[in-house]
Amino acid sequence: MEFLGYERHDGSVGVRNYVAVISSGRCANEIAATIADAVRGAMPIIHTHPCDRLKEDNERALRTLAGIGSNPNVVAAIVVGIGCENPPPDKIGEEIAKAKKPVDVLTVMRVKDYQDLLDRGLARVRSMVSEASQMKRKPFSLSHLTLGVKCGGSSAISGIAGNSVTGRTLDRLIAAGGSAIFSETTEVIGATHLLAKRASNKEVARRLEAVVDGMEAKIKAMGVDTRGTQPTRANIEGGLTTIEEKSLGSLAKTGTTPLQGVLEYAEKPKGKGLFFMDGSAMTSELISGEAAAGVQMHIYNIGGGLTSSFRCPPGWPGELPLLPQIAVVSYQSKPRDSQEKEFFDIYADTIIEGKESIDQVANQLFQEIIAVASGKLTKREMRSGYREPIVMYSTGPLL
Amino acid sequence: MKRAMMINPKDNTATVLNDIEAGDTVNLTSKSGQAGEITANQAIPFGHKLALTSIGEGEKILKYGEVIGLATQSINKGDYVHIHNVESAILPPPKEVK
Repeated sequence: MEFLGYERHDGSVGVRNYVAVISSGRCANEIAATIADAVRGAMPIIHTHPCDRLKEDNERALRTLAGIGSNPNVVAAIVVGIGCENPPPDKIGEEIAKAKKPVDVLTVMRVKDYQDLLDRGLARVRSMVSEASQMKRKPFSLSHLTLGVKCGGSSAISGIAGNSVTGRTLDRLIAAGGSAIFSETTEVIGATHLLAKRASNKEVARRLEAVVDGMEAKIKAMGVDTRGTQPTRANIEGGLTTIEEKSLGSLAKTGTTPLQGVLEYAEKPKGKGLFFMDGSAMTSELISGEAAAGVQMHIYNIGGGLTSSFRCPPGWPGELPLLPQIAVVSYQSKPRDSQEKEFFDIYADTIIEGKESIDQVANQLFQEIIAVASGKLTKREMRSGYREPIVMYSTGPLL
Repeated sequence: MKRAMMINPKDNTATVLNDIEAGDTVNLTSKSGQAGEITANQAIPFGHKLALTSIGEGEKILKYGEVIGLATQSINKGDYVHIHNVESAILPPPKEVK
């Protein structure tokens, strides 16, 4: 089975063909957004990472921005900055160039003024987009696909319906040579023993335990009641009682294949198959890390909980428009109105109603993945052009 | 007929697949099919948990065949199981905020 994608010089395959306009620091966001908004086919990557963070966070920001710039869905990139940011704009450009992608770095410090930078940036991005528009999709095997997965607004139904569907779909994709990345370190607490059993070797199991135990220790050291945060209020409303219950349901979306590796946030996997990435459960932050790791598409499992009553306003759940996001919804007992049909791509609640089996819905999801990878727009992609700054994982203090 | 799903044969809770009223008879299903009936003692919202056996204070709450928490009070067969009678075995709320 194949999908139609865009061939890249580094051997990867894009499912979209955007020119990324990357801001190197918060101060350059307006320039990046102004350029990207003025050119169809350009994608702004703006963020709020400030200069006054410590080394570890700056390195992670560099890895994230450069990783997003070298994502397979990016055909070419420009990095814009003032020139004094950390991570340095030139460094971001150098890293993107390693993926054999056309990349330009433009800084205010190296041109006449702000207007000059804007003019140069616009001209460059238009030329990149024009070139990109002439590319044709070609057939590629599914081994060129890497999916990101996340569940949100989880209810006690998520584990039985949407997450099980996604798990089965990942098993099928990985059997076909593809890869997947999941994250959310807190949502392994209580299920580490099950995931560690699936580790491809002892070192992977040891790293997984170290990362999850580290998160657990950090939470315990705070000495607070985590209920309402993990599980969230929406989770509790949806029937999830403890973090263990949430984790067990959450892990259903990872399927049954061996765990090939434990990645740092925004680290690219080496090899194929299933990988875990250290990170928080915050959707926007997680998707940035997965995009930097080379994920081309994202599967989002939406549960019941409070989400069913707030009807997914634009911008929820968090997203990065660079990656098409397929929304799989699990909740039931709520009327499906016309508005909802504009939000979700796959309905897994039919499993709860006994109308369809997990395999049947998983097959729909699998076909949808191939269609979307080949260019079909997701429901989210057809909605508003609302775009927000990306969020990057940080651990250190802001000085 | 109101329904509940027992995910693993080891479980002492089941997930209800309808909104349940107190006194409702709930049809229990498992992977191997029909697994009997149980009467709910309280109202239980869709997706929430029903006790399949009596569970003593401090005993394990099982779902997916795994421990999802510990009972904070004794729970009767047919009771609604949630944060009012269960807490995490790994990250319980600190004593002072209880």
